Amino acid sequence: MVSVRMRSCVLSVLLLNVFYNVVSSLYFHIGETEKKCFIEEIPDETMIIGNYRTQLYDKQREEYLPATQGLGMFVEVKDPDDKVILSRQYGSEGRFTFTSHTPGEHQICLHSNSSKFALFAGGLLRVHLDIQVGEHANNYAEIAAKDKLTELQLRVRQLVEQVDQIQKEQNYQRYREERFRQTSESTNQRVLWWSIVQTLILVAIGIWQMRHLKSFFEAKKLV
Amino acid sequence: MEVGRVIVCALAVFVALFSERFVVLASFSQSMDSDFTFTLPAGRKECFFQTMKKDASLEIEYQVLDGAGLDVDFLISSPSGQVLFSDYHKSDGVHTVETVDGDYMFCFDNTFSTVSEKLIFFELILDNMEIEEEQDDWKEYVQGTDILDMKLEDIMDTINNVKARLGKSVHIQTVLRAFEARDRNIQESNFDRVNFWSITNMVVMMVISGIQVYLVRSLFEDKRKVRT
Repeated sequence: MVSVRMRSCVLSVLLLNVFYNVVSSLYFHIGETEKKCFIEEIPDETMIIGNYRTQLYDKQREEYLPATQGLGMFVEVKDPDDKVILSRQYGSEGRFTFTSHTPGEHQICLHSNSSKFALFAGGLLRVHLDIQVGEHANNYAEIAAKDKLTELQLRVRQLVEQVDQIQKEQNYQRYREERFRQTSESTNQRVLWWSIVQTLILVAIGIWQMRHLKSFFEAKKLV
Repeated sequence: MEVGRVIVCALAVFVALFSERFVVLASFSQSMDSDFTFTLPAGRKECFFQTMKKDASLEIEYQVLDGAGLDVDFLISSPSGQVLFSDYHKSDGVHTVETVDGDYMFCFDNTFSTVSEKLIFFELILDNMEIEEEQDDWKEYVQGTDILDMKLEDIMDTINNVKARLGKSVHIQTVLRAFEARDRNIQESNFDRVNFWSITNMVVMMVISGIQVYLVRSLFEDKRKVRT
């Protein structure tokens, strides 16, 4: 009885902690038609959650206020093969999620959907962005509630997820290193191959030139 | 006792609601970091801002992963506009700042390059961003009434320790990944270069030999006899 109440108290504190996460994230300015892209290099089967918040510059008060309704952001995510895996419009504050199916460089692009050029009032839109990768994207409050975990179990579960992610990243690193090595070896081979071919072609052209000119002079009765 | 516990729980909810610097339960360690990779077009300057509190520390590490010359100009300025660090044509760098309240701005400048766009990776590590007491307050609520009180605390400490170390591993992996990406990009551009210049070389050789033969022949094309 007592422990249940304590647990629910802990969980509610947990939940509130999770919701207050976006407080001190990085921000940048974006123009009306400008598109800002970020690249995330991730292994396969990794979940990514992006949170963003926009603020519009108010000329009268000369400060940034929370953005107006109707001003949304268009989010587009491309996978390493340049195929679009997420292309959606969100409001002035939003969160987007996707899971990678191929390892590699995924490109996350944001641009505003504003068509009225006057809306930004010459200023810029301030965008707060936070991207969580892999196990950081897990919502532990939810998992704890769903699987009815005690706190100790929750923390151990988290450690397991963290180790999983490290292992996935290491596997991906091995695959990339292999590709890297293949490119290097291929370059090395090609340098040697092209040099030999060029030398042979040079010699062949020299022989051809001399033979051709010789027959030409003989034809012209100069030799 | 029951009432006390209810009050304590309500207090916890209150503190969570009104405090600004509550960090997600999921991060036991105090540092939060985020990393971003983006393309900086030629002739552009991109700036990012980070809100900081007093007496925290901000560490920024950046690397240029791709782009001719693999260099970029970098700048950090404090909330009052004063330039704290400035790098010129560097390919990677690390800077740590002890912060005051306000928004720190850091900029990557590629205006010196007219044709090549740069791929830049940067990582922000924030330390001491939340207030110490809140973390301890929270611990009080967690300490249950079970007999296994002390043992639970020991286990918690060990788990925190392990989590901090794993966090460091993840951080090192991120840095290694950036280095590897840069080396790979260099290699791939080497590969392209070797292909391109070899073919160009061959074509130029053959064209020139053709021209030579043609020119020599044309010397003898006119009807004049060459004196021997």
